[in-house]
Amino acid sequence: MGREARSAWLFISVPLTVLMVFTLAPTVLGLGLSLFDWDGSGWPRFVGLANYRGLAGDASFGPALKNTLVFAALTVPASVLIGFLLACAVNAPWFRGRTTVRTMLFLPTVVSIVSIGFVWRWLLENQGGLVPEVMRRWGVEPPDFLSGGDAGGLGVISWPMLSIVMVQVWRSVGFCVVLYLASMQQINASLYEAAECDGAGRWTILRRITWPQVAPMTAFLFITSAIGALQVFDVVVAMTGSTNMSAQTDRTRVLNTMVLAEFRQSRLGYASAIGAVIFGLTALVTAAQLWATRRGRA
Amino acid sequence: MGHATGAGVSRLSRPPLPARAAAHAAVYAAALSMLLPFAWMVLTSLKGDSEALTSDRFLPEVWRFDNYRRAVESAELGRFYSTTVVVAVLTTVLGVFYNALAGYAFAKLRFRGRGVAFGFTLATMMLPAQCFFVFAYLFASSLGFIDNLQALVVPFLASGFGIFYMRQAIAAVPDSLIEAGRMDGLGEFDIFWHVVRPAVWPAVAALAIFTFMNSWNSFFWPLIVVDSTGMKTLPLAVAELSSGQYVQSWPVRMAAATILTVPVVVVFAVFQRAFVHGLASTGLKE
Repeated sequence: MGREARSAWLFISVPLTVLMVFTLAPTVLGLGLSLFDWDGSGWPRFVGLANYRGLAGDASFGPALKNTLVFAALTVPASVLIGFLLACAVNAPWFRGRTTVRTMLFLPTVVSIVSIGFVWRWLLENQGGLVPEVMRRWGVEPPDFLSGGDAGGLGVISWPMLSIVMVQVWRSVGFCVVLYLASMQQINASLYEAAECDGAGRWTILRRITWPQVAPMTAFLFITSAIGALQVFDVVVAMTGSTNMSAQTDRTRVLNTMVLAEFRQSRLGYASAIGAVIFGLTALVTAAQLWATRRGRA
Repeated sequence: MGHATGAGVSRLSRPPLPARAAAHAAVYAAALSMLLPFAWMVLTSLKGDSEALTSDRFLPEVWRFDNYRRAVESAELGRFYSTTVVVAVLTTVLGVFYNALAGYAFAKLRFRGRGVAFGFTLATMMLPAQCFFVFAYLFASSLGFIDNLQALVVPFLASGFGIFYMRQAIAAVPDSLIEAGRMDGLGEFDIFWHVVRPAVWPAVAALAIFTFMNSWNSFFWPLIVVDSTGMKTLPLAVAELSSGQYVQSWPVRMAAATILTVPVVVVFAVFQRAFVHGLASTGLKE
């Protein structure tokens, strides 16, 4: 091996080892462990698909899966779309106060989720919270945002879960805005001029030029937000205010809180099977995204 | 992001005033909605317990800074503050160093296996690693990390994102600079340290701020690897304020949340430009 190659391997050795030990190996071994029964001591016992069959019969699993999917399906498009629209306005040459607005929008992104959970639970708290209080003043009977039952009577989402979705959109929009702004700066101005010469309206320009031009950014935001959303954990724990996973009810239980709950019960194989379900969903989303991108290009 | 831009769009005709006003109103409403909850947090942290629940006033009747003392004492925040600072600083310094070093190797050094190693690095970004923490925990535990500083630092010494980001930044450094260093007989590490590092300083700064914030706010992993109170980090300590139900007072909780929030907001405010700029140029140029 030449000097250059020796240095290179030396330089990447520590980072690669860390990634191997704390990311890749746990994922691969975790997928494998989902086929075993193990409490962490002694040898794991091979049980085939028993953990997955167990999940199918687990009354907690259905609601957790539903909540996770609803969370992802609502938060990802909402954050990306609102982020796009806000960025369009902020990016316009006539917009005043771009830097200030960008900073304000980005603020929730940098604040600890624990603080955010505290603040929003206090704002939404039925007794003394600002939001229900203001709604009552306006003559609207507020729902019980933090511990209410079904929202809208459709059986799709509970009030606490809807509050969690709302907070997640609120805290992730700024990130989308900042990245979209960067992407919009790269659009070639002559495209806009040509469109205007052809008499295209604003809406047409937005739809036919801006949106397609930032498509790679949209794809990036969609895929990273979706991967994050399927693993959702911290915003749920922060908004329910309990680090004790068994305190999660069907209203807010998600897959990843279930993983931690099972881990704490030393049911490591079962916990890994839930992890594998999240992994499978992530793979599906990634594949769908790749397919959509290919089709978009063709 | 050069900011007076909006690029050449400026030659387009402006929309009519009502449309412009509506757009401004919508954006500023959204921006204010990001700010007001935090203002409410600080205001509440200065109110009396029952006043917070019943009063109509936005400002406190009496400014009760005492809530901060109550928060610090009831959750021993002082003790966990130093742990959190040490963890965040160590993670930032070492993490940025290792990510940049690997980024340099991937960007500028030729070696067999580079494609595979870099592909592996990128792949780790797409893995939902968080849901497979079981073995990460077991490894940390068999290395004797549990309840130690190492558990909170070592797993964050490298990240797929950090390496990718530094690689993109370093790839833009002209090869001639590096060749000149070699002509002068510098070793690869000296070139990295004396030639590359100064050239990519803005990217280093952005990654440093990003890493610091992530470490400071880190919640999931500490929840798993910290068993005893000894190595608790601030977010854990604050979260448990409400979890244990032993602090029912919203003002005290808001004071704790403020204590947790202020350092990271200060870091963000000071380095805002570098951070937003760095984030925005995240290697999304192909």
